[in-house]
Amino acid sequence: MMELLQHFALLLIGAALVNNILLTRFIGLCPFFGVSGTMETSVGMAGAVLFVMTLASSATWVIWNWLLVPLGVGEFLYIPAFILVIASLVQFVEMYLRKASPALYRALGIFLPLITTNCAVLAAATEATKPGYFKMNLAYNFGFGEAVVYTLGVAIGFGFALITFAALRERLDVAPVPAVMKGTPMAFITAGLLSFGYVGLSGLFGI
Amino acid sequence: MDLVLVAKAIGALAIVGMVAASMLAVASRRFAVESDPRIEAVLSSLPGANCGACGRPSCFAAAEAIVAGEVSVTACTAGGQQVADAVAAALGVESCAVLPLVSQRRCGGGTNAGRAFAYSGLMSCGSVAKLAGGDLVCPAGCFGYGDCVAACPFGAMAIDARGLPVVDLNLCTGCEICVRECPRGGSGLLAMAPSLGPVAVRCSSHDRPKLRKSYCSMCCIACKKCEKACPVDAIHVVEWLAVVDFDACIGCGRCVEACPQDCIDLSGRESVAPAAAIDGAAGAVPGFTPMSDEEALALSESPGEPGEQP
Repeated sequence: MMELLQHFALLLIGAALVNNILLTRFIGLCPFFGVSGTMETSVGMAGAVLFVMTLASSATWVIWNWLLVPLGVGEFLYIPAFILVIASLVQFVEMYLRKASPALYRALGIFLPLITTNCAVLAAATEATKPGYFKMNLAYNFGFGEAVVYTLGVAIGFGFALITFAALRERLDVAPVPAVMKGTPMAFITAGLLSFGYVGLSGLFGI
Repeated sequence: MDLVLVAKAIGALAIVGMVAASMLAVASRRFAVESDPRIEAVLSSLPGANCGACGRPSCFAAAEAIVAGEVSVTACTAGGQQVADAVAAALGVESCAVLPLVSQRRCGGGTNAGRAFAYSGLMSCGSVAKLAGGDLVCPAGCFGYGDCVAACPFGAMAIDARGLPVVDLNLCTGCEICVRECPRGGSGLLAMAPSLGPVAVRCSSHDRPKLRKSYCSMCCIACKKCEKACPVDAIHVVEWLAVVDFDACIGCGRCVEACPQDCIDLSGRESVAPAAAIDGAAGAVPGFTPMSDEEALALSESPGEPGEQP
């Protein structure tokens, strides 16, 4: 029992911090710069990603293990199949949310349809699903529970990095930055320094 | 080629696609949300180009905002009067006149502004701007080499005696090409403003007033006299520069009278009068006597510094 708990904790920390999808592996950088201008949008994006990523990975795990592997077509068909699943899932979630929880629908707003084609979502789904594909030395193949926990970790890491960065950028807006560096250049430098911090965690717990 | 594998691949994608499609089909029925029929009506009146000029991400979002009453029926910038009338008809409300946007120059410097060096290269604002930031001392002013004039496809701009581009409001279509061409368009030297009614502040520098006064005799000195003169609270000194709120401005011209620098003028009003079809035509600065520096400095240092509200 203890070992299982430890395994899942490592999975979560490894996915969220040690192998942070944004700042250590540089996947999904477009929203990282695109929506990190204000705290409000980055919190919305982080929530939407957490939501969609977890659902998408669960769905792709089922598709991979129950459909693509039995048919023997997974190796070359996983990207179109996953994209199809993720896109329709987001559409479905959007319709459901609009009916069931208009407040949440409004809060997520434009970010929900936008992350349909987000590479971080596809990356998390692929990593959680495909055997032997970036498993942080923890397993060769994730079971369903592991896949969900791993994806939760990735999404939490994504949100954490995005919100931290948004906080920094909001401060930078009022900081005395030299005119030539104002705006995006300063954001790039800040992202680089922030990335240093995350890369420093690499190898922690051997993951 | 392994035909079985191809068939399996097609089959797998077909299954995923079918399941997803049927799921979505059921969901669109089950989770259908009764939307306001007026939104559909307004949406069908809008151009549907999702250009974003109104400030909303899509025409649908604009339609929602119009129906919710957050913006007026004239919200569609691209559609103009025709669309505003159609939207008003769809909602059963009264339409109102759309003011077309025209280009407005926010600099009165020209020959009144100091130059840092004698420039003798290619006579283009774009090229002088790349040379040590340009020959103007002012970091925001107009170079006057006429890139906007050359770029205007409607021949609506010309350089006047002051070395500044003026806009013929009868010819300007609001295409914004001059704003994009202007190397200082991004900092608001040329900007879009409603063609009728507003006043124009002919300065866009955010330097400290004292510094600004040292290199340009026409600049805004942030004295806040316009702010105090305005009866409708439509002009404010923001970061040492008078800024007009075009939605609130009624074009009464009190600020024009109050401005000790002649930095504000009635651009739109003046120009629609037949006698002067060109903005600022009233003034090739006739009879303009710049204040002595002491006077201006006294004004700029009186209660006017931002942050110190009286």
